[in-house]
This record gives sequence, structure tokens and C-alpha cells, in this order.
Amino acid sequence: MKFLKALILSSVLLSFSANALLEVSIIKSKEELFPVVIAPFRVVGDVQQGAEIANIIRDNLNRSGQFNALNSNEVVIDKIDFNFWQEHKKDALIFGKIEKISSDVFNVYIYIYDVFTEKSLYETKIEVHNSGIRRIAHYLSDKIYYVLLGQKGSFDTRLSYVTVSENNKGKRTYRLQISDSDGYNPQTVVKSAHPILSPTWSSDQNKLAYVSFKNKRSEVFVIYPFLKIKPTKLPKFDGIASSPSWHPDGENIALTISKKGNKDIYLYNLKTEKLKRLTTNIAIDTEANFSPNGKSIAFTSNRTGQVQIYIKNLETGKISRATFNGTYNAKPVFSPNGKELAIIHRVGKDYRLALLNIATRDLTVMTQNKSDESPYFSPNGGMIIFATNRDNKGILSIISIHNNQIVELTQKDSVVREPSWSNYSN
Amino acid sequence: MSKKILLITGVIFLSSCATTNIQELGDKFLDLINPSDAPAEVTDLSEQVLVLSGEAGGFTEEELEALSNDELIEIAKEKGLEDRLVLDADGNLLNRDEIIKALVESESLLDSATLESATQELKSLSDDALIEIAEAKGLEDKIVLDEDGELQNREELIEALVEGAAAAVEAAKELENSGIPSTLYFAFDDTEIDEAATRVIIEHANFMQNHPNVRLRLEGHADERGTREYNLALGENRALSVKEVLGLYNLEDRVVVVSYGEERPVAIEHNEEAWEKNRRVEFVYY
Repeated sequence: MKFLKALILSSVLLSFSANALLEVSIIKSKEELFPVVIAPFRVVGDVQQGAEIANIIRDNLNRSGQFNALNSNEVVIDKIDFNFWQEHKKDALIFGKIEKISSDVFNVYIYIYDVFTEKSLYETKIEVHNSGIRRIAHYLSDKIYYVLLGQKGSFDTRLSYVTVSENNKGKRTYRLQISDSDGYNPQTVVKSAHPILSPTWSSDQNKLAYVSFKNKRSEVFVIYPFLKIKPTKLPKFDGIASSPSWHPDGENIALTISKKGNKDIYLYNLKTEKLKRLTTNIAIDTEANFSPNGKSIAFTSNRTGQVQIYIKNLETGKISRATFNGTYNAKPVFSPNGKELAIIHRVGKDYRLALLNIATRDLTVMTQNKSDESPYFSPNGGMIIFATNRDNKGILSIISIHNNQIVELTQKDSVVREPSWSNYSN
Repeated sequence: MSKKILLITGVIFLSSCATTNIQELGDKFLDLINPSDAPAEVTDLSEQVLVLSGEAGGFTEEELEALSNDELIEIAKEKGLEDRLVLDADGNLLNRDEIIKALVESESLLDSATLESATQELKSLSDDALIEIAEAKGLEDKIVLDEDGELQNREELIEALVEGAAAAVEAAKELENSGIPSTLYFAFDDTEIDEAATRVIIEHANFMQNHPNVRLRLEGHADERGTREYNLALGENRALSVKEVLGLYNLEDRVVVVSYGEERPVAIEHNEEAWEKNRRVEFVYY
């Protein structure tokens, strides 16, 4: 019997009342997707919320850009009609059961079958604490993704983003929000009358670094949204402090600090409280992002007079230019395998999400948008979340690298921007 | 406490430069929740907001023209212009036009009533808070401390702060009347100060030399194109190039620079016309 301790922790989170939910819609769906059927879960006992599991999994798989996940009319109990699913050209069948065993605890069973070989690919039973339903559905979605594709999914993860709303007097309210990877369970962790920028999760998912203007200038703060620890304000000199990026160790943060007008990238250690300078050029150096192994940073600089992207190897100290295509390339973020950078690339008058292969320097423009911003990879590298405009309103967009399928996340009456994606849960 | 301090300094200079009214919510952190708790919706802070340039001052000449004499008398009294009223034996207003003119002129001035409320607000603060405000306003030399670091001249300091605020307001009014532009504009991804801009900065330098007590905040901004963090850096460089010119007049100690990047646009459209208005440095005296 598996007992997931993490699920009990998370159940507390789920019991809180929801804030304004992001509306999620799939914009462009390609045909050549993995066809699977996810039958409604059989519910044994009084576990009404259990019926949701199959819907959550189905939505997750469809959003990933890898699957065409359909419902079935009937609950699968013990006999599987493989012929029927073969005729309908479905490759895999997934079904499950949720069974109440006490007032707070229930068992979840899941079965994955290959429709053509008629063989079981995976089955498991998990004991779950009450109200951890969404979390278990995300956990199972990751399992299914792995069993069918041999790759990790990015479902049991969190997003952070900033919403901006304006009241009828034109007064703006900025909210730093966190949510599940599907936009559910949104929670406000910081609310301010002043702009909030660049929130980003530490790899252990316990900390968020972000930029706040609450003291009438940009400063970087680290907060602990789930712990009773006071926020930390990172050092600044006489100008801006901004653009935080976590080292994978979760202790060090790269950030931009202006000293006597010169904006450079520094490394701050939260434990030793020591600051180390990483760049020294007189030009603007900002938007640092750590490589997944922590051994280099990519950053934006106008040192040649043009805005371009550079990579500094922190072991040798060598800085090399990464972008050679176009007159404006900025805001680099490493893919989880460290081989690519998602960047913002200017095409004519437009600023578009692009993917740069670091070794070959091949650049692929990913969208036709006018003003893409703030890209961030899903932890499995399969998707990129970024901010863009739709009908003059700021929204979030998730693009599947596999087939360019786009999922849009919007909020009624609010602008949504500055997304980032957490690592996997512990 | 420090939040309140910033608030007051903020409101005083905002009222002087006719910038939009502010309402401070401040960031609120979830630093006192139980470890097993999740972040819940954060409620508004119950901070007191000092509004010096509120709705009461918001009359245009047209609006005043539409009012009756009695209403005008009422407003004039509220605005501390009672001694300007000329009434006949029955209490009828004899100098209507003059009063309207005086009211329009007084609109952006810090009147005696608001000065009084600023004084009251300052009086409610702790000594430490007052010291912090005074330091932020460049009034360090007015602070008298005893051996234990306790404030010795509380009353005097409050007076100096109120006077300083009033002086900044007067100076800003004078600047506005002088026709010196308080915003400079820039080309795309550029921080260059051209000849015309240099002339404007020199006028500001002269103004500062004539008003040795005012301090200047240069606020750098960018348009929405390009990435937010780069634009934040760019906005600072724009303000710094203005400061560099003022440095030639040895004024740098009285100038602070902040950048809002693309976060505070004055024009919200997504076109060249709006972008031109947003690539700017604003001069804010305080």
C-alpha cells in the first residue's frame, strides 16, 4: 500500500476558498495526438468528489498537447470490451475506482490498458486523505503521461502569476497569485497597490522571489507562502533591484542591482547573506536565468549597443554571446535539459516567443503575436508558459513545443501576466 | 511604521505635482500564518490614508460658475478664503468673479486646513517615525537628539516638516506657472538628451538653485515594447542621464532617481503615439 504523505499536506491547501479562477481554453488542437479513453471513475461509498478525478485527468492530458483524451459513457467495472475500443481507434484505456474507507481516507485505484495488445500497462492503489482529490488527479496524470510516453508530465506542479485589476476610479490592484498547474486553487499571496513583477518559484517550491514597488522603487523580496517565516528583502544599492532567478540549490539567487547607475547581475546567498558580483560591464546586464545544473547563467545585455543574450560560464568566468539573429533578443530562460533557451525575439515591430538551440544557434519563432513576454518552461520541458495580449488584454498562453497547440489562461476583469512554473512537488 | 512614513511623504509631494491621487494598500505578507495553513485572500490594510488633494479641491472654473453665490461663499470658507469675501449688509456676495478666480488658483495649493491635518497626522507619529521622515526629506540637520538618541525637538521638527511640505508645494506651483516642462521624452530604447532637453534641464537647475530647499525625484519610464525587466533598467538610465546634466550644477545630492520601467504608462493604448508619451522622465519636486 502506498501512502502519500505529501497528499495530506496538500489537502489543507485545497480546503481554502478559491479566488478568481483562470479560465482555461484550448485554442489550437492538432490531429495527430495519442488517442486515449479515460472512463469515469467508479465511486464506492460516499465520495462524491471522486467523480471529478477522471475529468481532471482528461483535461490535463488534453492540455498537454500530446493526447486526445475522450470520455466514455460507462464506468468500466471488470470486463473490458477491447474490440469496441480497437474499432474506435483508441490506443489506451484508463479507468479507476475510488473507495471510501473512513470519514477522512479513501483508496484510489487506477488501471491503464493497451487496447491492441489487451495487456495491462500499469495499475496501482493509493491511499488518499480526504479533499486531496485534485492533487491525486494531477499525480495520476503524471503517472499516465509517463506510462504512455516514457516522459515525465508537468501536472503535479504549480503556477505563479500576477493579476492587475482596475476599479471604476482607475485604481489598480496587483495580486501575486499561485495556483495548481491547471489554474485551479488560485490563492493570493501578495496584494498591493503597487506593481509586482517577476515572481519565480525556488526549486523546492517553498519560496517565491519577486519584485515589488511598495517602497516606491523596485526591490526584490523572498516570501515563504506556506511557512511561518518572515519575508526577506534582498540587498540593493542606490538604484533598482530586480529580476530574481533561483539557483537550483534554492539558497542562492541571481538578481540585478544598480550601483552608481551601473546595472549588473549579483549572486545573493540567503543563508550567508553574502553578495557576489557576477557581471561588471558598464552596460545594462539584467534578466539572469540559471542553467538547470547551476553552472552558468543566461542574461540580457545591451553591451554592444543592441539588446542581445549572453551566457556566462560561472566556472571559467567566460561570457559568450548566444543570439546573433535580429536586433532585439531578451529575457532568456533555460529549458530543463539545458540545451535550449526560450527568449523574446523582435520580428519587425513585434516581440515574439522564440526557441534558441544554444549549440547550433538555430532560432525558431513560436508565435505570430505582437507582444509576448516572460517565458517559462514547464518542468518536463514539453510546454512554455508566457504572457501575451489578446484583444488588447493581457493573458497567459501555454504552447506545446511538440505540436504548437496553445492553451490560453484568461481572467475576467483582470490582466494576467508574469507567469512562472514551479518544479515538481516534493 | 515605515509604511506610514512613506505614505505621508508621498502624499505631500503628490499633492504638489497634481499626480493622481494615491491609495496605499501596501504589500501584505503572510508571515504570521500557521505552518499548516495555506495562503488565504489577503485583506486590505486598514492604513490611514492622508489625502491632501482630494475631491474637495476638484473644482474647475466652469463648475464654480454654475454654483450659486451662497454655495461659493460656503466653499470659499472651507478653503480658508473667508477674508477674501466681500459681502453686502444682507450677506450677498459682491465679488463673485474674484472669488471664483481665487478658488481656481487655490486649487492646487496646500491650504491651511490641509496643512493643519498634516500637522495632526505628524503629531500622531512616534519620534522614530518622525526622524525617518525628516531624514527622507533631507532635514537631517533639523534633528536634535540627546545622548540616548531620543528626539529633543519634536515640536520644532514637525513644524519644519510642515513648512518644508508647504515650500515644496509653493515651488511646484511656481514652476508650473513658469512654463518649464516637467516631463522629457526619449526615442525608442534610447537615453540620449538632445539640445532641447538640455535646455529644459538647465531651467530646472536654475529653479533648484533659486529654491535651495526643494529636492527632486527623477522618475524614469519606458514604453511597453520589449521585456519588463530590461525596460526597468532602461527607465533608470533615462533618469540617470537627466541627473548627469544636473550634476554639472552640483545638484546631484538633491536629486534621487527611480525607475518604473513600463509599469506606469500615461497612455494605455498600444500604438506609436502612446509609446512616445510613455518613454519619459518626470521631474517631481518634494
